[in-house]
Amino acid sequence: MRFEFSTMGCPCALHVEACDDATAQRAYAATLAEVDRLDRKYSHYRADSLLSELQNKVGAPIAVDDETANLLDFAAELHRQSDGLFDITAGKLTRLWDAQNHRVPSQKEIDAALRVTGWHRVEWQRPNFRVTTAGMRLDFGGLVKEYAADRCAQACRDAGVTSGVVDLGGDLALIGPHEDGEPWIVGIKAPRAEGKASARIELPRGGLATSGDYERALIVDGKRYSHIVDPRSGYPIESFASVSVVAETCLVAGAASTLAMLSGVERGKSWLHELGLPHLCIDADGERSGDIAI
Amino acid sequence: MRRDLRIFAVLSIGLLMAGCATTPVQPWERGRLAGWDMRWDSDPMQAAANEHAHFSKEGTSGEIGAAGGGCGCN
Amino acid sequence: MSVNRRPSSSLTLLLAASAALTGQKAHADETTSAPTIGYRFNVYDEDAFSGATVIGSPQRYHVDTQQLDFSSGVGDRNTLNVNAVHEVMSGSSPWYEIPGPNNKPIQVLSGATIRDHRNAIDASLTHDAGGNSTTTIDASYSTERDYHATAIGAEHTLPLNAALTLGFGGSLSHDIVAPTDALIFDRITHAEKNTLSAFGSLSWVMNKASVIESGIQINYQSGYLSDPYKLATVGDVQLPDTRPDRRTEVAWLVRYRYAVNADAALHLDSRVAANSWGQKSFTVEAAWYQSLSGGWQLVPGVRYYTQDSARFYAPFFVAEDAGDFYSSDYRLGGFGSLSANINLRKQFGRWEFTVGAERYHASASYALGGGDVFNPGAVSYTRIFAGLDYHFD
Repeated sequence: MRFEFSTMGCPCALHVEACDDATAQRAYAATLAEVDRLDRKYSHYRADSLLSELQNKVGAPIAVDDETANLLDFAAELHRQSDGLFDITAGKLTRLWDAQNHRVPSQKEIDAALRVTGWHRVEWQRPNFRVTTAGMRLDFGGLVKEYAADRCAQACRDAGVTSGVVDLGGDLALIGPHEDGEPWIVGIKAPRAEGKASARIELPRGGLATSGDYERALIVDGKRYSHIVDPRSGYPIESFASVSVVAETCLVAGAASTLAMLSGVERGKSWLHELGLPHLCIDADGERSGDIAI
Repeated sequence: MRRDLRIFAVLSIGLLMAGCATTPVQPWERGRLAGWDMRWDSDPMQAAANEHAHFSKEGTSGEIGAAGGGCGCN
Repeated sequence: MSVNRRPSSSLTLLLAASAALTGQKAHADETTSAPTIGYRFNVYDEDAFSGATVIGSPQRYHVDTQQLDFSSGVGDRNTLNVNAVHEVMSGSSPWYEIPGPNNKPIQVLSGATIRDHRNAIDASLTHDAGGNSTTTIDASYSTERDYHATAIGAEHTLPLNAALTLGFGGSLSHDIVAPTDALIFDRITHAEKNTLSAFGSLSWVMNKASVIESGIQINYQSGYLSDPYKLATVGDVQLPDTRPDRRTEVAWLVRYRYAVNADAALHLDSRVAANSWGQKSFTVEAAWYQSLSGGWQLVPGVRYYTQDSARFYAPFFVAEDAGDFYSSDYRLGGFGSLSANINLRKQFGRWEFTVGAERYHASASYALGGGDVFNPGAVSYTRIFAGLDYHFD
């Protein structure tokens, strides 16, 4: 059974198997409820989201709940591990390089955005979060969608589903393997080739996450600017077209693929190799590398 | 030997109290501790071989764990 | 003895950092369900005796050891580990000492070259009892031409709180000694020895970068504890090495692990021990664990050891001074030792390769506060090892 829906700005689907209608409906309802809850909380398109509150209350510390605290701890750790490349405060910068602008931002705009970017401009001491500069934009992209996939998968398991996959815009979390124990075969979208799957892989466990610039890159005068921006320089990073990673959870897979994208092709490849998780990288020329079983 | 045992008892109780008194390290903070280089033995097979060489050539031995089996190593 | 799976430290850090969010275990399993096989080859070679202090062929001991280790999850909560050892020993061994000029001891070595091999197998089963506590039972058997040992043991670990873990356990070993050439050399033909051992330990996670553990081990041995191949010179004659039929040993250990930064860690281990034969010893070891680029790991280390002599030890005895017990085994003498070691490792996908060496030098002059008795038996050796691990997952 397959349910299609849309959330967090992307097309999503819930695939379930080997269960009766009632269970499937329950699982679908639980999934919708969970993504809605997380979207309300962490969307930066909603003025009433917790995220908006966090970034707008300048100077005053806000005590956050456990779930947000855990996400912030995780983001802090990723910031540390990536030497500052992964930065949830870089929202203003990524918006500057958004494809929908149809233009390259000026140096003045970049400098202005840099002045309100930086993990050093917030204070995170669990459970208190404090923004010290006005105008900052927090961006939990790279975290929330993958986290949501894991949560939805668990919600489906709690509803009684034993076989299925949650697909939130390409970030997948496994609910359980096929009834006969075989893993699900899932497709990784081809960069820059609409609708075509570039690789079909087995998902035996956990989650699959893909970071890629193919859908959201800014193209001006034939030149492609990735939406993965270096929060230290303000400019996009030349990197892979896409990186897909399989891990125990979609969250870890997402963190790994994001960190790989942020590291650029050379360092990203060796980091992924050292990490030891199955992965597939496709660089700007379509060259593939990685050890995912296709 | 009795004096050594008393010192040991005092230090162990100190360790126990210190362990109860300090702020615990949260699970997400333990990442570094799980690294290969922070294990008690990062290579148990080799650690056993190393201990065996020293045990065969010295008059005293002892590790954290039970002594296990002996050998005629000379 | 299990071969730990070594997940990359980056993966470990990611898993740990995400643990609270995903409800997963905070680190990739150390006792992973995927099987692992390990192989190690150790070459141990003692320096030959030097010059005038020796009678007999000066070549000392040489041992080639091969180890094979297999580890695998069994069901959800158990891990099985099986370890097999095959050793080939050759060379000559200190036999007895006689007074030389100025009463300086001269070492007499066993003339015949020993050539023996030892096979041992050890199996253990660890059960995850829930709540982060584990129970392990193990059994082992070691056999060589003249020595057979059977042992069983059990241990349990138990977290006391988020920072402290208690460990305790014990083992029982029954050994049978049946020396070769017993009748020719007038040795005992058959003897037994039993060892009862117990330990307790406490480990403490101090902070994000350091852990410390303290433990105590107590052993009680009874039976034939002498060395059937050694003699002691008492007056003008050589008598068989004769030691008491019981011995109690206590050792107190502290080990500390400190993460200096993301790529390096410092290990410090110390041990203070004493036994009922009058020996006391102190050991300290330091090692530096360095991760290099490209997945290489380098571990240099040093070790210092010092021990007192047993009450009934002397290189040789004047007849009136010898009591009921007498031994000239250098291992019961006072000496100290210094050793340096280095280890290089690399991971290649599912394979891990390791190579290393140790250089060890013992001497009476290295002993702390004593060791003025020249001990010709004190040994120096070189050990080289290499190994491979393979992870099936």
